[in-house]
Amino acid sequence: MAPHHLIDAYLAELRRALPADVADELADGLTETYDHFRDHGLDPDTAARTALADFGAAPDILNAFAQIAPGRRTARALLATGPLAGGCWALALLTGHAWQGPIPTAARLAFAALLLSVVALLVIAVRIDHPYQRRTPAIAGAGGVLLLDCAAVCTAALLISVPTWPLLLAVTASLTRICGTAPALQRLLRKP
Amino acid sequence: MKAETLKGHLDALLLAALEVAPQHGYAVKEALREGSGGRIDLPTGTIYPALRRLEQAGLIRGAWDTTASRPRRTYRLTAAGRRALSGEREGWREFAATVTGLLEGPPWPRTT
Repeated sequence: MAPHHLIDAYLAELRRALPADVADELADGLTETYDHFRDHGLDPDTAARTALADFGAAPDILNAFAQIAPGRRTARALLATGPLAGGCWALALLTGHAWQGPIPTAARLAFAALLLSVVALLVIAVRIDHPYQRRTPAIAGAGGVLLLDCAAVCTAALLISVPTWPLLLAVTASLTRICGTAPALQRLLRKP
Repeated sequence: MKAETLKGHLDALLLAALEVAPQHGYAVKEALREGSGGRIDLPTGTIYPALRRLEQAGLIRGAWDTTASRPRRTYRLTAAGRRALSGEREGWREFAATVTGLLEGPPWPRTT
């Protein structure tokens, strides 16, 4: 329970956007700030207003947390590397005449649908208003990227007996992305 | 001194504030204010995201202290944090010596 209703309202705004442990830490800091001004002889209302002014505007604090929010950096990195990996695979598929391969149309469509969903989830994770709500789409997006890369590498390994250099390049790009995405996903899942 | 002025140096100052003993966010802010004679008085709320960022980078480690009157998150330097602080100090000395030399040294050479 906050020591003053103004502080209570301020903290409620932060709690709507931040995870509980972050909000608890901010509540402790703000209460400490309020106590500091009370100890210096300010009445409760003035101490609360001064503490809030000293603490900083809620949007500024939320924005600062947004910059470091789990999920945002992962989503941005995956969006940034996506065209590179996609370009490698496009080159490999075009030079290997992949459209003549035995992969069923349903599987191709499912892959395309998953790819579009992953891009949408990652864009949402970057653009969503509340910074810490980015975590869920970021987890789903990163999981989707892992699935896509694994599917692409496994399909290539199963169907292609003589690899070409564009294919080796694409497989390397996917394996590199898998190595980067898996630990990032693990970190995202570990965070509260 | 405004937060923007400290941009690029805040991390080193936070690490230095935690060098001697573990502290919570408000105590770090007060240490910076008192240590600078009141010239560095950051909005308290800006300290917390900066501490979380340093924690994500593995330079400090936070833990909840439940022995205080209310639960409180305190931070301590990690070994990587000590190394980073040492590097920041070295970089700062070099930077300060260079800029001081240019600003207060002999007249600048003429160039063509």
